[in-house]
Amino acid sequence: MLSIYFGTYKGDNYIDNPDLYFDNTYEDEWLNDPVSKQMVKDIDRSELVSPNLVISPVLGSIPVSRLSGGVKTLIQINNDKDHVYNASACGDNCVPWLLKISEEKDVLVRLGHLMRFPDKDFHIRIANTDEIVDSRQVLVQRVISEGMLDE
Amino acid sequence: MTGRYEIVLYNNKICYRLDVKRNITVLRGDSASGKSELIRLLGAYNSNPSSSGITLICEKKCTVLNEENWQLFTETYSDRIFFIDEGNGFLRTTEFADTVKRSDNYYIIISREGMPNLPYSIEEIYGLREGSDSGKYRLPKRIYNEMYRLYGNVPESILDLNVVVTEDSNSGNEFFSLLFPDKCISSAGKSNITKILSQHFNERVLAIVDGAAFGPEMQKCMELSDASGGAISVYAPESFEYLILQSGILEVPKSVLEETWNYADSAKYFSWEEFFTHYLSDTTRNTVSQYSKKKLNDFYKTAGNVKSVYDVLPESLKAIVDAF
Repeated sequence: MLSIYFGTYKGDNYIDNPDLYFDNTYEDEWLNDPVSKQMVKDIDRSELVSPNLVISPVLGSIPVSRLSGGVKTLIQINNDKDHVYNASACGDNCVPWLLKISEEKDVLVRLGHLMRFPDKDFHIRIANTDEIVDSRQVLVQRVISEGMLDE
Repeated sequence: MTGRYEIVLYNNKICYRLDVKRNITVLRGDSASGKSELIRLLGAYNSNPSSSGITLICEKKCTVLNEENWQLFTETYSDRIFFIDEGNGFLRTTEFADTVKRSDNYYIIISREGMPNLPYSIEEIYGLREGSDSGKYRLPKRIYNEMYRLYGNVPESILDLNVVVTEDSNSGNEFFSLLFPDKCISSAGKSNITKILSQHFNERVLAIVDGAAFGPEMQKCMELSDASGGAISVYAPESFEYLILQSGILEVPKSVLEETWNYADSAKYFSWEEFFTHYLSDTTRNTVSQYSKKKLNDFYKTAGNVKSVYDVLPESLKAIVDAF
């Protein structure tokens, strides 16, 4: 299940800048994973050929360090269970992948904004209150009424 | 710093064109829309302008700020446009907000987070999209703007509205109480608006906010509005003072309203909201129309002057007023 901590997460294992962290810590095996290749194709519209090569339709041949911050964050969330990542590095186009990844495993991320989730058909645990919600309406209401983003 | 500036930055693969006119511009949106690439390109240009193969066209110098250099550069430089990528922790600090407040520079900030310490305008929140011509250019596109919310998206059901929430606590609230008798409450500031809206989530609510500084709260408001199925609607003119200036009650040079960027000096005014308040207070001082934000002068409550302000409201809002 996807768990989200809204606001300021203070754990020692928190990564605030997943884009930068990825460049210096990624493992080659993460990038050989078919799921990573699919995410790069979907989000960045690029081909992840190998851990050393991405083919972008706009930029040409680029290293993986020039993947988008959103897809780098998704790859880390999918492969590194030891850290809590700042998912505000992800745009709304990363939402389907965030939900898909968390179908297979328990994932905890931090958000500093209200990401646009679907209206329903999901389960998200709000880590601040340990409440499980299953609609965007309730999620938005809870986050705002409890002032979770106001810290 | 005053003025409106076009920024063109390109190499042989990609080109960016931006247009900035206030002290703070925010870029956000989907991943892989080219935001961080913009920062990378500018950083590469500045590292060696003549040999980088990158071209920058802008009347002002453009510089990338990061964790290491932001304090030094903001203290040292003036009359520049600073670019800041997401992931920089200093964006959330009060020290940075204080720096922007007295700054003679403009800032282009990439962030999806609200940044409540910075009073940016809802009109200056952009996404990046690919240009429609050749795909060669990426053009800024507004995610939120006043016109979109006010003129197109006020639903029919709001006609039976239950509550009007104004961000202003004094003069602005007093004025809108004349249009919406017994329905108007104040949130006493922008940071309380979304909480009050969430308390009235199952009602039909109109929020009236000062768009010139409401950027940090706008995303939350829009999410609430969408989640409510349109029962919560937001009207976000620049500010209440702007409406008065626009109404024709007072003689105001057109350029002050239409080319505000030439008047609202970023070193003096944190936002255009502050500028319009100052302008209105200053130009009416010691006259019958003397304006005070704390208490609305009776001059602005006369039927004729209320009508003048009403006349500059968007049609969708007039319909709501007329229903009372």
